[in-house]
Amino acid sequence: MEAASIAHADHHGPPAAHKSSRVEAPTLGMLLFIISEVMIFGAFFTAYFFIRVVNHNPWPASGTKLPEAVAGINTAILLSSSLTIHWALTSIKRGNRFGLKAGMVTTFLLGLTFLAVQINEYVHIGFAPHDSAQATVFYSLTGLHGAHVFIGLCMLLMVTVRSFRGHYSAEHHQGMEVPGIYWHFVDIMWVIVYTTVYVI
Amino acid sequence: MAIPAKLRAPGWYRAAMFDVMGLGFAFGLTVLVRWLMHQHPVIDGNAITIVALIAVPLFFLVGLGTADYWFYWIAGRPTRPEDHSSHGAHTWRDYFRVNTDHKVIGIQYTVTSFFFLLVGGLLAMLIRAQLAKPGMQFLTPEQYNGVFSVHATVLIFLFVIPVFAGLANFVLPLMIGAPDMAFPRLNALSYWMLPIAGVLMLMSFLAPGGSFAAGWTAYAPLSTTMPLGQLFFTIAVQFAGASSIATALNFLVTIITMRAPGMSFFRMPLLVWANFSTSLLVVIATPFIAASQFFVLLDTALHFHFFDAFVGAGKNGNVIMYQHVFWFYSHPAVYIMMLPGFGIISEVIAVKSRKPIFGYRMMAFSLLAIVVLGFTVWAHHMFVSGMAPWIRIPMMITTAIIAIPTGIKIFSWLATLWRGVLHLDTPMLFALGFLTMFTLGGISGVMLAMIPFDIHVSQTYFIVAHIHYVLFGGSLFTIFAGVYYWFPKMTGRMFDERLGKWHFWMTFIFFNLTFGPMHLIGIQGMPRRVAEYAEKFAAWNLFISLSSFVLGASTLIFLYNIVASWRWGPRAAANPWRAMTLEWQVSSPPPIFNFDAVPTVVGGPYEYGVPGAVHGIFKPPTEARPVPAGAVAGDQGGEFRTPPSQESHE
Amino acid sequence: MVVIGVIGVVIGIPLALVIPWFPADGSTQAHNIHTLYDVLLIVSVPIFVVVETVVLYSVWKFRMKPGEEEKDGPPIHGNTRLEVVWTALPAILIVGLCGYAYSVLRSNEKTHPGAMVVNVTERQFAFQFAYPQSGGKQILSAALYLPQGRPVVFHLTSVDVIHSFFVPEFSEKLDAVPGVTTTVRVTPTRLGNYPAECTELCGAGHSLMRAAVHVVTPTTFRTWLIHQKPNGPPPIGTPPPNASQTGTTPGGITGGSNAG
Ligand code: HEA
Ligand code: HEA
Ligand code: CUA
Ligand SMILES: [Cu+2]
Repeated sequence: MEAASIAHADHHGPPAAHKSSRVEAPTLGMLLFIISEVMIFGAFFTAYFFIRVVNHNPWPASGTKLPEAVAGINTAILLSSSLTIHWALTSIKRGNRFGLKAGMVTTFLLGLTFLAVQINEYVHIGFAPHDSAQATVFYSLTGLHGAHVFIGLCMLLMVTVRSFRGHYSAEHHQGMEVPGIYWHFVDIMWVIVYTTVYVI
Repeated sequence: MAIPAKLRAPGWYRAAMFDVMGLGFAFGLTVLVRWLMHQHPVIDGNAITIVALIAVPLFFLVGLGTADYWFYWIAGRPTRPEDHSSHGAHTWRDYFRVNTDHKVIGIQYTVTSFFFLLVGGLLAMLIRAQLAKPGMQFLTPEQYNGVFSVHATVLIFLFVIPVFAGLANFVLPLMIGAPDMAFPRLNALSYWMLPIAGVLMLMSFLAPGGSFAAGWTAYAPLSTTMPLGQLFFTIAVQFAGASSIATALNFLVTIITMRAPGMSFFRMPLLVWANFSTSLLVVIATPFIAASQFFVLLDTALHFHFFDAFVGAGKNGNVIMYQHVFWFYSHPAVYIMMLPGFGIISEVIAVKSRKPIFGYRMMAFSLLAIVVLGFTVWAHHMFVSGMAPWIRIPMMITTAIIAIPTGIKIFSWLATLWRGVLHLDTPMLFALGFLTMFTLGGISGVMLAMIPFDIHVSQTYFIVAHIHYVLFGGSLFTIFAGVYYWFPKMTGRMFDERLGKWHFWMTFIFFNLTFGPMHLIGIQGMPRRVAEYAEKFAAWNLFISLSSFVLGASTLIFLYNIVASWRWGPRAAANPWRAMTLEWQVSSPPPIFNFDAVPTVVGGPYEYGVPGAVHGIFKPPTEARPVPAGAVAGDQGGEFRTPPSQESHE
Repeated sequence: MVVIGVIGVVIGIPLALVIPWFPADGSTQAHNIHTLYDVLLIVSVPIFVVVETVVLYSVWKFRMKPGEEEKDGPPIHGNTRLEVVWTALPAILIVGLCGYAYSVLRSNEKTHPGAMVVNVTERQFAFQFAYPQSGGKQILSAALYLPQGRPVVFHLTSVDVIHSFFVPEFSEKLDAVPGVTTTVRVTPTRLGNYPAECTELCGAGHSLMRAAVHVVTPTTFRTWLIHQKPNGPPPIGTPPPNASQTGTTPGGITGGSNAG
């Protein structure tokens, strides 16, 4: 490869960079980005910790209750979307374009449902962020995650569009694999948010 | 109606148009929301400003064209072949557009940050003018609080942090033999978020109620009860933070995946190690300051209660939580502002003493040690904050321990000087100045770690002295050293050595006269962040102010030297310092794509005095004699030695 | 070079010690802290001198002489013994310093059974000192009067933003945090009048947020106390209406109207 790049020692393009690691740049970039994301959630959980544990505030604030059941179903929905996107990935690895498209569409729809249910929950939950510090934490943690679901959905939409426009193949599917990693992260994060905010 | 091409093509015209659209969007959205939520008045200036502060910059970025490629990609069009049209600078105009060349971005970064050094410095001059005499001077207390808050914020978030990113942007890919950064477009985006943050901060002076004035630490609940200006800080910091996270991510990926063949981790120049460590800090820590400012934003704009201690029994927020979250970023941040400097010093000292770095591996490991320890000490800023007292003890211990890896570095540099052939030119002088001054600042830091003493001096001018000994005597000296050292490579010109020496001595002397006495008046009890102080401190403060003005003037020498040399300086050779690292093996300034062919690394980066040793050669690895990976001793590849002049491709 | 170093240390330490760093030590705590600082100086000066002398000596001895432009230094890559030494020595110093600092902290924050309680309530931009009396009554005062030699416990709190309580002569300092009561202990030892300062940035009036501290003899203190008339308990922790919104807040996106 170096030999090749020496051969055309002209200034019309950069020499091909040497690959000094097995991991692909976009994948690595996404993993590092996810570290940052985890830390963002970490900071919000710090707020949760101080307001619920350090302040000894009742959880949820007295006179309010959280819809564990609905949120539980919602959790199931989101988790299943992890499976469907995995299915999409395995399909395209086997060159099965239909599987890719179907998988992406279902994943997208499941994610959308989750978001819809979440928003509906906000509307009917009966307390506002400025009612109490607990409400503040509840809205910001679920809201932060909701924002991530939204970003994830945007990525999924791109991938879906591109897959319908005939991109990706058994050899080249990184463009959908990387957003997939992010989507899995969003799902796992929700499990943590759900357990800390609703269950315990 | 057809939109003229000027407005459709990415660039400043379209950016301007998008700014207007951003304003419209902010206005529309806010009014709509308030109308839907039955709020009066429907048109609320503050609310609109807050939304605009977020929306307009984003519209600007899109308008300027930082995202065109991605939109193209999203739309699912066939991936367009890279034609490198946005790469490299042929005229000065190319520095004012979205450019994906890491060398151009590096210069954009560096110049922008130095502009903000001047701004921050000017504000410092204001601070000193106000403090020259006891009693109120020409600034009101509000204005004074604003001035030092902006001073610190600008110098931290828009000078020290980005200028290191800028220098590394230019040098690092060359050093590891990469044609560019891993994500050139992301790189461009992270640069353009910087001027945005800076402009927001300075615009806060125009806000009703004045600029943000809660210090650079913006403690809640003060910051959540401040006039509108405070939100300029809250939001500007978000852009600066996003920018540095993106850059750090870029550095990490570049270092891990794009090193030249033969460049094992233990053959990387220490500057690369330093930026590797720094980037780890940034990626892990920066989200915390982002979060802390989200909290403040939500508390002020939407009346959340993160920091409201008076909501009612059983539903109160927690005030001290802000400080934990803030310092969990901002202590690592102080190492984000120092580790790259350590890297620069390692390069300069090795080259200028013509000796290999003493204890290369320990140098690398101590960097990593500082990264790890850096996350375990944040509460040493909170010894008097009223947090649970027991936390202070572990924090004191971990804080003091950091002196050990740092000491290893200091002593290793000293040992590198030992028996070398010291070329005492400007970069080296600043490096030596750093060694001595940072040691002093570090020692005062260790004193601060001692809880009882910190209880006495916390929030006094002793802290201000510490701050400036580590940030000015530490970071800024390394930055000057680095700028002088790489000036020939970046501009292709030599700077004026005589002016450089003048700059160093003026800075060195008046820096000490300015900040040295602050230790004393601090311990004697002069509080920081006051616009007015007791009679008994008058003499010293006048002395400090006068010295600080000369210190400021010394910066003008630097300014003149850089501008004049860039314009008229003599042309620089490819390798004026006879350095071994790869960036010096190409022409000055480097060819547009760095290398015609990726070089092969066959030895350590600092093998000075080793007969016939080289670091990298312009031959494919197949022709290079294989060497054990990680070998530091430079007894390999001797026969490939070629004088730098022939190495450079032009 | 060793000689230069030794001389540097021998001159440096006394020099550093004679400088009148601190204001008068007005409390037992201050006394301990001043000694701690002296120890810190005695440890720090040698470290600093070592670095300085090595740098200056190298500059003088190893600077490039004319004709050495192309010359390189000896390729020394390291020396394990040396590196162990300069890792171990600071480590030992650190352990010593931390241990000592900890003991000082312990003795400074020792609880005294007979300690006098003073409740300090801070607001933008003033101090209020309250002396609890028998029967839940409190004596309120804008100035702080303390009897010499009697241990005092200050309970600090704030009703708006974070403030702080610092008397340089006492060498003790602590933040007054809204919604929290923090505790700091001082045993005044020296008669005199000192300033109490707010050292946490709290807004426009921060610079001028001070109070007078009078350390007097126990008898004078008792007479002073008698001449004060007890009021009801002070509004500790009870905020002014809507304390979280003190100052001029932006209306916010959803308007201040429905702020909780
Ligand atoms: C570049 C930035 C930078 C750096 C590198 C440091 C480095 C250190 N800092 Fe500093 N610090 C700041 C920037 C920095 N600091 C700022 C901006 C603030 C104020 C924030 C604000 O409130 O506005 C601050 C505040 C601050 C405080 C809080 C004070 C207070 O507010 O009450 C403390 C307390 O522990 C502290 C400690 C330290 C220590 C122990 C180090 C150590 O890393 C130093 C290690 C280095 C050495 C020790 C010297 C070399 C070592 C040797 C020669 C070996 C032998 C030495 C010994 C055995 C002692 N710093
Ligand atoms: C890298 C960081 C950095 C740098 C370089 C400086 C540089 C300086 N700082 Fe700053 N400072 C901080 C970081 C920094 N500071 C921080 C973090 C704080 C804490 C803030 C807080 O409490 O929240 C602080 C606080 C602070 C205070 C305490 C304010 C207070 O607590 O009340 C003071 C007081 O003297 C001060 C002074 C100075 C001076 C005189 C300089 C001098 O070195 C400046 C020298 C001048 C220049 C470098 C440029 C001068 C330019 C010109 C003279 C004209 C040329 C301009 C044009 C042609 C446009 N600083
Ligand atoms: Cu109250 Cu500063
Ligand atoms: Cu710190």
